[in-house]
Amino acid sequence: MASRSNVVFLVVLGALAVVSPAVGHISPYYYDIVVSIGISMILAASLNLINGYTGQFSLGHAGFMAVGAYASSWLTLRAGTPGGAGGAVVFAGALLAGSVAAALTGLAVGAPSLRLRGDYLAIVTLGFNEIIKGAIQNAEPLGAQRGLGGMGKYTGFFSTFACAALTVFVIHNLVRSTYGRGFLATHDDEIAAESVGLNTTRYKIAAFTIGAFFAGLAGGLYAHFKQFIHPEAFGFTRSMDIVVMVILGGMGRMVGVCLAAALLTVLPEVLRYVSHLGFLPEWLRHVAENRMIIYSLLLIVVMIARPQGLFSLKPARARS
Amino acid sequence: MTEFLQQLVNGLAQGGIYALIALGYTMIYGVLRFINFAHGDIFMLGAFAGFYLAPATLKLFGAGPSYAGAALVLLGAMALCALIGIVIERLCYRPLRDRPRITALITAIGVSLLLENGGQLLFGADPKSFPDLIVDRALDLPAGWGPLSALTITLSQVLVLGVTLLLLVALRHVVNRTRTGLAMRALSLNPTAAQLAGVNLDQVIMFTFGLGSALAGAAGVLISIQQPSIDPLMGISAGLKAFIAAVLGGIGNLPGAVLGGVLIGLLEALVVGYLSPTYRDPIVFAVLILILIFRPAGLLGTVQKEKV
Amino acid sequence: MPAPLLQIDKTTLRFGGLTALNGIDLAVGPDELVGLIGPNGAGKTTVFNVITGVYTPTEGTVTFVGAALNGRRMNEIARLGIARTFQNIRLFPQLSVFDNVRVACNLHRATNPAAALLRLAAFRADEAAVAQRCEELLGLFNLLRFRDAPAGSLPYGDQRRLEIVRCLATKPRLLLLDEPAAGMNPVEKSELIRLIQQIKQQFALSILLVEHSMQVVMGVCQRIVVLDYGVKIAEGPPAAIQNDPKVIEAYLGEDHQKSLSHH
Ligand SMILES: Nc1ncnc2c1ncn2[C@@H]1O[C@H](COP(=O)(O)OP(=O)(O)OP(=O)(O)O)[C@@H](O)[C@H]1O
Ligand SMILES: [Mg+2]
Repeated sequence: MASRSNVVFLVVLGALAVVSPAVGHISPYYYDIVVSIGISMILAASLNLINGYTGQFSLGHAGFMAVGAYASSWLTLRAGTPGGAGGAVVFAGALLAGSVAAALTGLAVGAPSLRLRGDYLAIVTLGFNEIIKGAIQNAEPLGAQRGLGGMGKYTGFFSTFACAALTVFVIHNLVRSTYGRGFLATHDDEIAAESVGLNTTRYKIAAFTIGAFFAGLAGGLYAHFKQFIHPEAFGFTRSMDIVVMVILGGMGRMVGVCLAAALLTVLPEVLRYVSHLGFLPEWLRHVAENRMIIYSLLLIVVMIARPQGLFSLKPARARS
Repeated sequence: MTEFLQQLVNGLAQGGIYALIALGYTMIYGVLRFINFAHGDIFMLGAFAGFYLAPATLKLFGAGPSYAGAALVLLGAMALCALIGIVIERLCYRPLRDRPRITALITAIGVSLLLENGGQLLFGADPKSFPDLIVDRALDLPAGWGPLSALTITLSQVLVLGVTLLLLVALRHVVNRTRTGLAMRALSLNPTAAQLAGVNLDQVIMFTFGLGSALAGAAGVLISIQQPSIDPLMGISAGLKAFIAAVLGGIGNLPGAVLGGVLIGLLEALVVGYLSPTYRDPIVFAVLILILIFRPAGLLGTVQKEKV
Repeated sequence: MPAPLLQIDKTTLRFGGLTALNGIDLAVGPDELVGLIGPNGAGKTTVFNVITGVYTPTEGTVTFVGAALNGRRMNEIARLGIARTFQNIRLFPQLSVFDNVRVACNLHRATNPAAALLRLAAFRADEAAVAQRCEELLGLFNLLRFRDAPAGSLPYGDQRRLEIVRCLATKPRLLLLDEPAAGMNPVEKSELIRLIQQIKQQFALSILLVEHSMQVVMGVCQRIVVLDYGVKIAEGPPAAIQNDPKVIEAYLGEDHQKSLSHH
């Protein structure tokens, strides 16, 4: 007998397979947005494990994404970007390898979190992000500052959303299990968690490792969708984008976070459109051109007025 | 040898700037236990305040660059930044004072992004060239100084270091000799005791934000005298480096912030001089991580244990 | 006397210049209920913190069933069978009452974390067993009615009791209670006394109890240890402690002694 959530997962995969051909017919512009939404969801859901459920504060998620993107790209390029079924196998293997590489990086970043809390950790992860970026910028085999291109376009609607569903499924199942409640306990009170026998260090490292694994997966999908990657695409701005998704979605609220990921991926496109509307006043069009102004205002207002996120109906302190 | 000394001179000048910014991080952390992520952007606003104040101010003293004009621009920028710092605290941080620290941190990140991107909107995203406040030139060093004679030391470097030292002396006086300064120190040593002794929390926090922001503003003008190209994102990297300096010295510790600033400045100069500029940021961040792992209290700080 | 379960030997703890514990000796035997009393700041909570690994003693050793505890991490010590409550209540306020207990069952889970991902039958059976145990424990303390409420929303007294339930979920051999009766009225206190005695029996526990309420201490303890300024000043059965002049001077005071001798 399969459990209910396993069934749901399989149904979702089936539904994706059914709609996938239809989605293939929409214009490239919209197709790009749809796939980007899926990638954002993976990034946001995985950061939600670290920042939301476990209550750590990583500002460096794009660094893990970079590791996955570069590792998988290097592999598919080495394999000669074959087509057909061989291509699918190579791609799947490269995605997995990229995710594992990212997870190992997450393990390394999680280690300092043993001693650090909150604000310090935030800066350290930001530092790791810079270090990863810096390492790539100096790595000739990865194209250094020129970027890396020529990957096959392996990523599509189905692969992206199947991975997104997998991410949400895994993290959701994990945190609602007896084991996984330990992530939330670590968040709420580390000393109390230790006092009932939870190894909070392990939980934090696990959160970083698993979160990084999926960020690496997103990176691999991204690289084989855009077919060109550049170190600057995985810097602080990208990390901030993901953090904003998690905060606006409501830290530790999976549905809200996925909604926010979708919303914030579409928002720049909407804003781009708005900024071209001739009848709007000049300054408003300028504001629309810069999504970060809107993000930053949202962050401030949400923190002061709605710390539980934009979508949650429950007040901040109730969560089960 | 000359090469090495030259790097030290450059590093020292940059380190002074970091020290001024780091002091703000450390003071604010001392009273609020929170990293004001937006502090680096106050530094940027200081540079822009100088940029907009300079033409009119310089006119007061004749047309060209003048020391009096430069001093007035510096003071004006400091005052403006103090005001901005106080307003930000009042509007954004005060409502969150009793909430989890992470909430304040996220808000500070929001403020930082707002200043950076609002700055791009208001001032334009392109770098601007900062007007000459003084006539800069390389100093003629006496020939008898051995390897020192071949150094290039500019007037602006000397001035910047001089003004930085002056500000540090002034800060020392304010913190050690004035009532509010004492209250500030008391608050960072023992918040509960300080409040029981009648320290007015709101007032001290306001004062701390004002003081820290003024120093960052001064740093913004001083850096622009040395490197006359300013842009709305210039505070990101400087702010992070200064934060690292504060942690290196021991956050909450004023002499530590200065020491950390100078050390980071020197380190950067040496990396740029002997390795490659692309390694500068990764190495500075590596220093931060190593410090946090092996000596989380910093060079001059002390560890505090949580009471259970 | 059988070999003690917990043994604290000549233990000293200093915070900078302050000596919070000064050469303390203390033992708790199997099946024993020992009281630890003393004025505010005497070092009672610090004794708990030293036992549970929050602090490592400056000098001396702590042993539990023959294993040295010095230098072990808190979670290892919990694993060995010591559970505690906190003077200033440390629940997981955002987790539900049920999850507060459930998370403490991790020490005795049968399946490994990876099983959570596939949700196979064995995993689900394990989760069901955990849930049943949690509900039984909650029922025992009449807390089942709050099952899904966030723990932080419970009345104060119920939060204190939930903390005890959470301890029991770890299946401890030694339970450390830090002022469990704080803020309770006399009726609630007698109820607590009954509960302490019941769980001690039912779960075969040894208990070390810190408490200011003489009603509770004298009512349940077999032996009492008195601390003052980090030094052990007396030890003995309740009756002897009540009449010990040193204890009366340091802690109980004349009035207290009179009121107690009426019991
Ligand atoms: N982390 C710490 N740092 C410095 N001093 C501490 C720390 N923890 C406890 N102390 C000090 O150690 C002494 C003993 O404190 P402790 O909390 O053990 O007292 P207690 O007997 O539990 O008192 P109470 O009845 O008030 O709970 C006190 O003087 C306290 O201030
Ligand atoms: Mg106590």
